[in-house]
Amino acid sequence: MTDHSRDAGLARRLPEAVTQPEPVGPFPPTDEMLAVPVDPALSREQADRLKQAWHTPQGWRYLSAVNNTEVGVWYSMTAFGFMLAAGVLALLMRVQLAVPENDFLSAERFNQFFTMHGSAMMFLFAVPMFEAISILLLPALLGARDMPFPRLSAYGYWCFLIGGFFVLGSVLFGVAPEGGWFMYPPLSTEAEGLGPDIWLLGLSFIEVASIAAAVELIVGTVKCRPPGMRINLMPLYAWYVLVVGGMILFAFPPLIAGDFLFELQRSFDWPFFDPERGGDPLLWQHLFWIFGHPEVYIIFLPSIAVAAMIVPTAARRPIMGYSWIVLSAVGTGFLSFGLWVHHMFTTGLPMLSLGFFSAASEAVVIPTGVQLFAFVATLIVGRVKIILPMLWIAGALAVFTAGGLTGVMLALAPFNWQVHDTYFIVAHLHYTLFGGMVFPIIGGVYYFYPSIRKKKLSERLGRWSFWLTFTGFNITFLPMHLTGLKGMPRRVFTYPGDIGWDWLNLVSTLGAFVVAAGILVFAWDLVRPKGHQPLAARNPWNGGTLEWSHDVPAQAWGVRSVPYVRSRYPLWDDPGFLERLDAGRFYIPDAPEGLRETIVTSAIDARPQHVARITGPSWSPMVAAVFTGGAFIFPTFKWYLAAGISGAFAVATVIYWLWTATARVPEAPTKDAGLGLRLPTYVSGPKAPGWWAVFITMLGDATAFASLVFGVFFYWTARPDFPPAGAEHADLRAVAAAAAALTLAWATTLGARELNRRTLRRAARILLGAGAALAAAGIAALILAVRLPEMDPTSHVYPAIMWALVVWTVAHIGAGLIMQLYCLAGSFAGRLTPRHDADLWNTTLFWHFLVVTCLVTAAVVGLLPRAL
Amino acid sequence: MRAGLACLALVPALAACEGRQSVLDPAGRDAAVMAELFWWMLGGAVILWLLVNGLMVYVSRLNRDALSVRAATLLVVGGGIVFPTVLLAVLLSYGLSEMPRQLAPGTGLSVRVTGELWWWRMEYLPEGAETPVISANELRLPAGSRSELRLGANEVIHSFWVPALGGKTDMIPGRETRMSLEPLEPGEYRGQCAEFCGDSHALMAFGAVVMEPEAFREWLEHEATDAAPPATEAARAGRAVFLAEGCGSCHTVRGTPADGTIGPDLTHLAGRTTLAAGVLPMTADALKRWIADPRAIKPGARMPGFDHLGDARLDLLAAYLEGLE
Amino acid sequence: MFWRQPRDRSLWHMILAPTIWALHFVLVYGVTAVLCAKWDAADLARLTIFASTAVALTLIVAVGRGAWRQWDYLDGWDDIHDRPTDNHRRRFLGHVGFLLSLVSTIGVIYVTLPAVFVETCR
Repeated sequence: MTDHSRDAGLARRLPEAVTQPEPVGPFPPTDEMLAVPVDPALSREQADRLKQAWHTPQGWRYLSAVNNTEVGVWYSMTAFGFMLAAGVLALLMRVQLAVPENDFLSAERFNQFFTMHGSAMMFLFAVPMFEAISILLLPALLGARDMPFPRLSAYGYWCFLIGGFFVLGSVLFGVAPEGGWFMYPPLSTEAEGLGPDIWLLGLSFIEVASIAAAVELIVGTVKCRPPGMRINLMPLYAWYVLVVGGMILFAFPPLIAGDFLFELQRSFDWPFFDPERGGDPLLWQHLFWIFGHPEVYIIFLPSIAVAAMIVPTAARRPIMGYSWIVLSAVGTGFLSFGLWVHHMFTTGLPMLSLGFFSAASEAVVIPTGVQLFAFVATLIVGRVKIILPMLWIAGALAVFTAGGLTGVMLALAPFNWQVHDTYFIVAHLHYTLFGGMVFPIIGGVYYFYPSIRKKKLSERLGRWSFWLTFTGFNITFLPMHLTGLKGMPRRVFTYPGDIGWDWLNLVSTLGAFVVAAGILVFAWDLVRPKGHQPLAARNPWNGGTLEWSHDVPAQAWGVRSVPYVRSRYPLWDDPGFLERLDAGRFYIPDAPEGLRETIVTSAIDARPQHVARITGPSWSPMVAAVFTGGAFIFPTFKWYLAAGISGAFAVATVIYWLWTATARVPEAPTKDAGLGLRLPTYVSGPKAPGWWAVFITMLGDATAFASLVFGVFFYWTARPDFPPAGAEHADLRAVAAAAAALTLAWATTLGARELNRRTLRRAARILLGAGAALAAAGIAALILAVRLPEMDPTSHVYPAIMWALVVWTVAHIGAGLIMQLYCLAGSFAGRLTPRHDADLWNTTLFWHFLVVTCLVTAAVVGLLPRAL
Repeated sequence: MRAGLACLALVPALAACEGRQSVLDPAGRDAAVMAELFWWMLGGAVILWLLVNGLMVYVSRLNRDALSVRAATLLVVGGGIVFPTVLLAVLLSYGLSEMPRQLAPGTGLSVRVTGELWWWRMEYLPEGAETPVISANELRLPAGSRSELRLGANEVIHSFWVPALGGKTDMIPGRETRMSLEPLEPGEYRGQCAEFCGDSHALMAFGAVVMEPEAFREWLEHEATDAAPPATEAARAGRAVFLAEGCGSCHTVRGTPADGTIGPDLTHLAGRTTLAAGVLPMTADALKRWIADPRAIKPGARMPGFDHLGDARLDLLAAYLEGLE
Repeated sequence: MFWRQPRDRSLWHMILAPTIWALHFVLVYGVTAVLCAKWDAADLARLTIFASTAVALTLIVAVGRGAWRQWDYLDGWDDIHDRPTDNHRRRFLGHVGFLLSLVSTIGVIYVTLPAVFVETCR
């Protein structure tokens, strides 16, 4: 298959494409097959080889670990640490507000604190916590060995850690942003100091990591389920992961696009939000809240997912209305994108527009209600045992219902005009977020802790923590409804004593310290030394799902063998399941090559497709994260050269990492996966998890690009002077040349893939080289098209947004070019062959999206302004 | 008022809802409608909350044995889909139909309000008038009719809100937003900026005075006149200090050479209920403190401090400004 | 490719109804923004909203009918679908698809209500 001489011999007619091996053998396995015993000695040998392959590095090398059980714990503990820090900020604010006209904090300090409290709770706690817990739990729930891209998880974690310390650390130096977690321009575009830059760059950095995690979680859910776990048997948690991953993909990119524009204005004075030069501050509000509202559900749904795992265990029966809960997760996911303007009800948009969002905000109550009633229904038909985690879930439901009911009120625009930006909102959002996030997550920690750390948390401390937090929470936030109705606006560092807000605030402050006490009890329970404590039972709550098939004491391999699943609750329904699992009677019970492997299955019916080799411990994720961090952090201080160098090193590190660890030619085309099944060891295209990862990433990327194009249309509708009368437009010939060159670059990449498959490797290389040259030409032509004296991006928003589109597109073409060259190099190095062409498939997929981006940019830059 | 009665019934202390900045103590048509809507919604919310959580307690604590699947399914379909769909449709329709009423165009007076850092520029334009009457930091409206408010901002976004009269609307640089208010009960209320606008966001308030239509007409006529000449010796000396110190480059006092427009118009300063945008009382002492060091009172304020003037000259200035009725 | 999958094996078909809701939402929001900002044409905007609602509802009903058949509820009155069989997977996807068309219908009707009550571009 890698024979060069075939090129010449078959030149006259196009040869057949090389086919890839298919799975061979029986599936699904019969009961008799599953009952075949395994020789205990063989099983022990297999286990030893697995242990070796999955060995976690020790000593200082421990930090190079990438296993989901390690990264997930670091991730969640870091997020929890950031939460405690943000909580301290909240306590300090409550002290300042305890009495009227207090001078405990200066206005500047207070404003920094509330900005960082919100930003950290959202970006450093709530969303990362979902990702952390999912990275930790998802493979266990799915009986998989690990996530599909362990190094990507590690990279995401290190990005999060660096970015989080950078953003939160700014508080200690008094340079933290002070414009609110929503960073509205012009206040924040015009603010002096580093604050807004720290916020924009630091959090963009973390958002990139969040998207990386979302990609991985989606691929993990879709492609790494155990054989037989069809879509209708997935644990509900996985359904939520799928929905939330999809939401992150469409919600975060608009904010990244907004950050991009915002930072261009701060660094280079491109006037996107400056009304003096045709900009509009409202564009930011749209982009921010298109992110910001789905984000609330991105936080809420995973926590409900945790509840969906605990409720059946507490009710001691399967969940009631599985389909209904899937409906509500998917429905909420969709509807949550139609709510963003309810954060902008007071901005003077036309009533009709407000009405749509008011309507959608009411409609989203319906799937949310279904969700809650499905839980209640499960409890009704079950024989409930109030285990400690269930206590937290019950508290969560009580608190969240109250927040949901005030949400129904707030969705009415006229009522919203009264209470918007008051303490009523502060109360509402804390009811939804504590009820919809903090309580379920802590409940989840109590529930899943034995599966993660093999010890139980304290029942007594857990109850203390619950009642302190629950009581304190209501003492703090229930009075705030009234404080807001009595007219107290949010984000005020002081207030007069004669309006009737004083006693309410004092009560809230006292309550806040009770909450803090409750959280501290929990934190202590979490970190207190447990060395003397006996190991927990394997299935202490008697749960029915796969995470309770974990090994006690812990094993790094995830599962001894990847199970064949035929029920939603295999541990309840499938007698003998655990014995078979432990004996290695299911799939890939062995690691003869000493490689880390997991099984990839089809998306809907989970038929085994492929044994995926996944990456092991490495320093490259950490190094890449450090350099990526440099590329994001240095521009804060206007060190653009250093940022560029750091960025180049980041790209180099990632290339090294991909080259050395991904899509490697296997030692044999197929391997024995157990139970008589032979599976391919290398797949490319839509069967490969990597292809899905690129596809999903590019969906998110396309959303960010669409947000920029939305910006163009927004300016057109919102501003009479867009484009300004008599404005110079981009050079049409150069735009046309760019469009042509880039379309050809796409065509040659696609052609290279097809020729390579047909073993015409030399022709494929020529096309790849030509494609790279065309991409470079396209970059040049695009820049030339707008590099006109009349199109100075600082002069007006019109040239600025055109430039922004070009910069965005050029950066992407640059990435496409690097990918072409990477494939070319792979072809020469023999890691990309006619059969082993995953890199080329992924590159082509990237170029499919890229060519659309390029053509849209060409149309919007070259044609649209002439038509408007 | 029914809303007041509801408040009395639900909250032990009636005082809990009162206040000159309270949504639940309305003095305008829109605020009254919303206060009443709130009490209805609160009642409904409390009932629903008790039902859901009562059910939770019942099935998990009181009756732990399994109940029928049929009842549970009915609960999901009825409680999850049918009931909320109907209830929310009714509520939504009411909210939507109320919107055009609250945003109806004003019928007589129009006031242009501009948000500054951190004070309010007010320009009154009675029906048919050509030039506005310029004032600052206090909104006066006639009772019984709907007045139009046209809102703008310099530099950063603010939000204009008088809870006792009605909802808020943002003030956005580069845009003109609008709202309208229909005050019903004469009295003194308080408004405050509701959108975070920087250091002294907390200190950006204003007095809102609702007057009988006749009294309002008289007030506006007076507000349109030039400043009263200083009546006392001290005030005359104060005016000299005012002009000599260059206060007029930022502030206007009509009828004097002071014609600055950077800061608030002071022509009838002493006629307002508060000083420094709702932060200080309108007293000589407060005037002195403010002029000596505005940033001590309002962090980041644009006005420079004049503590170099010394106590004696600050007294004179205060005497002059106090006379600007 | 995934969009050519038969509907009884397709997540894409399952989410068709809410996708129609989303397209309808984007359309009415976009049309209103442009017509109101550029031409103050509230009547035209409302007309477009009603028309697109009619189209969206027709499509969702069609999708919902397909999903209802796929669910095949009346054959056995079963709504659990927890067996590892093609049949249960098919009916599960149909069930969720049907419920989603129900919620999408409510969503589309709700989003049309503003055009009933608001007659101006104010």
